[in-house]
Amino acid sequence: MNFRDSSSWIFRALWMQRTRTLLTIVGFSIGIAAMVILSALGEGLRVFVLNEFTQFGSHIIAVNPGKTETFGISGLLNTTRPLSLSDATAISQMSNVEEVVPLVMGNAKVKYHQRARYTDVAGVGGAADKAWKLEVAQGKFLPKDDLQRARALVVLGSKVKEELFAGVNPVGSFVRIGSERFRVVGVVAPKGEFLGTDLDDMVFIPAGKGLQLFNRQSLMEIDIFFNPRSTSEAMADKISQLLIERHGFEDFTLTTQDQVLVTMDNILSILTFAGAGLGAISLLVGAVGITTILMITVTERTAEVGLLRALGGTTQTVRMLFLGEALVLGLIGGVCGVLLVGFLLLLIYLFVPALPVALSPTIVLGALGISMLIGLLAGSQPAASAAKMTPIDALRTE
Amino acid sequence: MIKLEKINKTYQVGDSPLRALADVSLNIEPGEYLSIMGPSGSGKSTLLNMIGLLDRPDSGRYWFDQIATEELNEERRAHLRGENIGFIFQSFHLINRLTAFENIELPMMLAGLPLKQRRIAVADVLAMVGLSDRASHKPNQLSGGQLQRVAIARAIVMRPRLLLADEPTGNLDSRSGAEVIDVLEKLNQDGITLITVTHDQKLGDRARRHIRMVDGMIDRDQGGFSVTPENSDMPENSPEPKNSPEPTKSPEPTKSHQPTKSNDETI
Amino acid sequence: MKLFDQLVFNRQVFLRHRVRTLLMLLAVAIGVASVILLTSLGEGARGYVDREFSALGNRILIVLPGRKETTGGGPPMYGASPRDLTLEDANALGRIPGVLAVAPIVAGTTTISHSSRSREVITLGSTAAFFAVRQLQVGAGTLLSARAESEPLAVAVLGVKVKRELFGSSRALGQWVRVGDRRMRVVGVLEERGESLGLDMRDMLVIPVRTAEQLFDSPGLFRILLDIAPSADSDKIKEKILNVIRKRHDGEEDVTVISQDSMLAAFDNILATLTMAIAAISSISLLVAGILIMNISLISVSQRRQEIGLLKAIGASSRQIKQLFIGESLMLISMGSAVGISFAFALIALFAGLWPSFPLQPPVWAVPAALLVAFGTGLVFSIMPAKRAAALDPVLALRGML
Repeated sequence: MNFRDSSSWIFRALWMQRTRTLLTIVGFSIGIAAMVILSALGEGLRVFVLNEFTQFGSHIIAVNPGKTETFGISGLLNTTRPLSLSDATAISQMSNVEEVVPLVMGNAKVKYHQRARYTDVAGVGGAADKAWKLEVAQGKFLPKDDLQRARALVVLGSKVKEELFAGVNPVGSFVRIGSERFRVVGVVAPKGEFLGTDLDDMVFIPAGKGLQLFNRQSLMEIDIFFNPRSTSEAMADKISQLLIERHGFEDFTLTTQDQVLVTMDNILSILTFAGAGLGAISLLVGAVGITTILMITVTERTAEVGLLRALGGTTQTVRMLFLGEALVLGLIGGVCGVLLVGFLLLLIYLFVPALPVALSPTIVLGALGISMLIGLLAGSQPAASAAKMTPIDALRTE
Repeated sequence: MIKLEKINKTYQVGDSPLRALADVSLNIEPGEYLSIMGPSGSGKSTLLNMIGLLDRPDSGRYWFDQIATEELNEERRAHLRGENIGFIFQSFHLINRLTAFENIELPMMLAGLPLKQRRIAVADVLAMVGLSDRASHKPNQLSGGQLQRVAIARAIVMRPRLLLADEPTGNLDSRSGAEVIDVLEKLNQDGITLITVTHDQKLGDRARRHIRMVDGMIDRDQGGFSVTPENSDMPENSPEPKNSPEPTKSPEPTKSHQPTKSNDETI
Repeated sequence: MKLFDQLVFNRQVFLRHRVRTLLMLLAVAIGVASVILLTSLGEGARGYVDREFSALGNRILIVLPGRKETTGGGPPMYGASPRDLTLEDANALGRIPGVLAVAPIVAGTTTISHSSRSREVITLGSTAAFFAVRQLQVGAGTLLSARAESEPLAVAVLGVKVKRELFGSSRALGQWVRVGDRRMRVVGVLEERGESLGLDMRDMLVIPVRTAEQLFDSPGLFRILLDIAPSADSDKIKEKILNVIRKRHDGEEDVTVISQDSMLAAFDNILATLTMAIAAISSISLLVAGILIMNISLISVSQRRQEIGLLKAIGASSRQIKQLFIGESLMLISMGSAVGISFAFALIALFAGLWPSFPLQPPVWAVPAALLVAFGTGLVFSIMPAKRAAALDPVLALRGML
C-alpha cells in the first residue's frame, strides 16, 4: 500500500471516531506537556545558575591556601601555609595575567557618626571592580596601589551607603571600621544577590588592610583573571609552578572556572533529568491510554481486518495500518503538548517573568521524537494482535 | 484451475470437535458456474473459504493453477487472493466510513496500485453493476441491493478469475436479489468462474453444476461444464451418471459418495 | 440498586472486557503509586535531615563572630572579624544558667604526616566538651582530657579516614604524627560515623584548643557551641549570650547566635514545600488517567446501548443508570488505587531493606491526597458519559437489537 493511501486510511479511521481520538490525544498531550515544561524548568534553572557563575567572566583561576578537597570552605579557615600578598603580587607579574584580586573576607561594624552597621567586609585589590563587574555609582573604586602598601580607603556597597549616609554623598567622608578610620572613595551601584550573599551589604577595602583588621596572615583566596590567549590548563600549570617555587610545597589548591562550571553543570543536569522524569510519569499514563483505545478499536474493527486480508492485504499491511494510527496519535499528541507548553510559558512570562524557563529547539524536537516513539510502542501490541488475526476468524465475528 | 484433494477440516466447538470437511476432493475448471448447497452445518461455507484461500485445511492438498497452496506463506496467499479471487459476502462487509468508490478501490489500494489506474478501473466496474451515479455515496445511503452490487464491483475490480459468493442474496428482497444474480451471471458469461453457496434452491438451480454437501462431504455433484465458443480448447466434461435429479433433500441416510465426475485431466 | 448487587454487576462488566479494565487499572495504579512513592522520597529526605539533627540529641546554640543586618540573609560565614571571640568569652558564656556545656572551636587546615605519608586535613581545636556536645565517641583510645581546656597539650584525636590513610591497618594509638610544624601524639581515633551536618568527622583531626591557637597563631575562635538544657528557653539564653558579649566587647554586639532548631525549621520548610510540589506534579498523571476513564466510559456507553435500553425498559430510572456508570468508574478507581497503593508500599518496604539508612516514608497526607485526586478526577470525568447513558432513548436503543 503506498504512503498516501496509508495516510489517508489512517486519518479517516481516526477521524471516524473523533471523540475517542480527541480524548486520547488530549491525555497524551498533557503527558508530553508535563515532561517538556518540567524539562524546560530544569533547563532554565541550569542556564540561570551557570549564567550567575559566568557573569564574572570565564577566564578565572582561583587559588586557595591548603590542599583539601572541601569545596571552598578551606579558605575561610586558618592555615599553616599562608597565601600572602606578595604571592599575589608575584602572580600579577606573570605574562597573560590581566588582573589579580586578592581576597580576605570578614564581618565588621562600620560606623559613621552616630550610625553604625555590621556588614561584610571584603579585602580586595584595585582590580576587583573590573573583575567582578562592579559598577561604580559615585566616586571611583579602590586605586591599584602596591598590595603591600595599602591605604585606608573604602568603597561602600549601596545598602551600606543608604543606611549610613541616606541621600548624602559619602565620597570624601571618613568612616570607622574596627578601630581604624577609612576614607570613602566610592559607592558601588546595586548589584543584587549572588547565591545568597547580598552583594550590596558589603564594603570594599584593600586586602592588606583587611588582613590587619581581621588579624590574619593568610589571604583566603587569590582570583586570577587571564586573557583568552592562554588556556586554563596552561595558566594553571604556570601559576602552580610559581607558587611551588615560592612556598617550597604544593600547599595550595587551584580551581579553574571550567572545573566549577562542569561540576555545577553536572549537578544541574540532574535537575533537568529529574524534571523530565516527573513528567514522564504522566506520559506513561498517556501511553497506556493509546494502547487501551487502540486495543478496543482493533476489537471493534475485527471484521474490517478480516476484510482487508480477504481482499489481499498482508499481515504486514494490517500491522502497519494500526501502528500508523498509534504513531499519528502520538505525533499529534506531541504537537499539541508542545503547543500547550508554549501557551503555558507565555502565561508564565506574563505573570512571573522572573521564573527561568528555557525552551530550546532541542527540547521540542526531542519531545516530538519521543511522542512518536512512545506512540509506536504503545501501538505495538494492538497492531500485533490485529496482524495475528486470520481472515476467517475475523470475518466470522459479525 | 482448482483441484482439491482429500481436504479435511475440524473445528473445536466447545468441548467436542466438529468435522466440517471430510476428505473432500473436487476439481473445478475455469469458467464454470457452480452452486454449493446443503443444510446448515454441512460445510458449504467452509468449503468456500477453503477454495478462497481464507482458511487452511488440516490435511489434504489444494492446487490453484497448479500452485500447491499449502506450501505458500501467509503473505503469498494474500497476494494470490488479491489477484485472482473476488469475494461476495452475505453481510456485504463494506466499510461504513468509506464511499462506494473508496470501498471498491480497496483491493487495488492494498496492492499498491496508483490512484489514476484505480479511478479508471472503479469507473468501469461501477458501470458494469449499473451504479455509476452512486460512486460518492456512503453505505448508509444505499439500499440492500445497491450495497451488494457495490460489493460485487469491489470483488471484480482486480479482474479476478474466480468469484466466490456466500449467500449473496441472503439479506436482500427478491427483486434486489434478482438484480444481483443477473450481474453475477453476466460476469460468468464473460468468463469468470463463479461459485455460489446458498440455501435458496431457486438460486442454486440456476447454476450449471450443482454440488450438494451433507455432513462435510460432497453428496452429489451433477451438471457440468458446457462448452462456450471461447472455451473451445477446453476438454468437454461429459455429464456423468446423474443421481436423483430432485432438488429436494433426499431422506436417504448419508453415504460417503465420491464425486462422480472424472476430472483427471489437467490442462 | 443495592451496593452489593451493583458490585456484582460491575464485576461482570469488567470480566467481559478484561484487557481494557486491566489497562485502566494500570493507568490509575501508576498515578497513585507515583504520588505515594515520590512524596515518600521527599518525606524521607526530611526525616533524614531531622534525624541527623536530632542525632545530636541535645539542643545546641552556635555563636559566630560577626553580624549581618540584612534580614532574611544568611549568617556571617566568614569567621573573621576585627574583635576575636576568645576562649575567655567562651568560658564566660559557659557560666550562663541553662548552659550545660560549652565547646570553643578553632578551625584551620594543615598538613598531618606520619613516616612517608601525609595529607592536608581540616583541624579543629577544642576541649573535652566538644565531644560531648557533638556526641562523638572514640573507637580506640580516649578523647581529649579536661586538661585540654587550659593546656596546649601535644595530643591529637584522629578521624577514621585520616587514621586509615596515615596508618593503614596498623595501630595508631601512641604514635607520633607531625601536625603543621609540631609533633603530636595520637591518643584516640574517633568511632566510625558518617557526616554530621556537613562536617565529615571521619576526615578530621581534633586537638586541644590552646595547641590550635599556637599552631595557627591566632587567638580567634571560629565558633562556640553551647549545649543548653532541654527545658531552657532558647530565646532567653540567646539574649543572655548577647548581654555577656556586649559587656565583654565594649558594648559591641558583634556576634550572631544561631539555634539548631531554627536551622532545622528552615530545612523542614523547604523540603515540605518541595514534597508538596512533587505531589502536585505527579498528580497530573491522575488527570490523564481520568481522561482515559472518560474516553472508555463513552465507548462503553455506546457499545452497551442495547443493554441500557433494556434496563430502562424493565424499569431502571435515568438516575439509576447514571449511578450505575458512575459507580462503575468509581469501582475501577478503587481497584486501581488499591493496586497502586500496594505496589508503592511494597516498593517502599523493598527499599527499606536495601537502604535502611534512608527509609522512605510516605507523608501522612500522601495516600489520602492521592485517593482524593484519583476519585475526584474519576468522578468529574465519568459524569458526562453517565449523563449520556441516562439520556438514551430506550426505544431507539432497543431497536438496534433487531
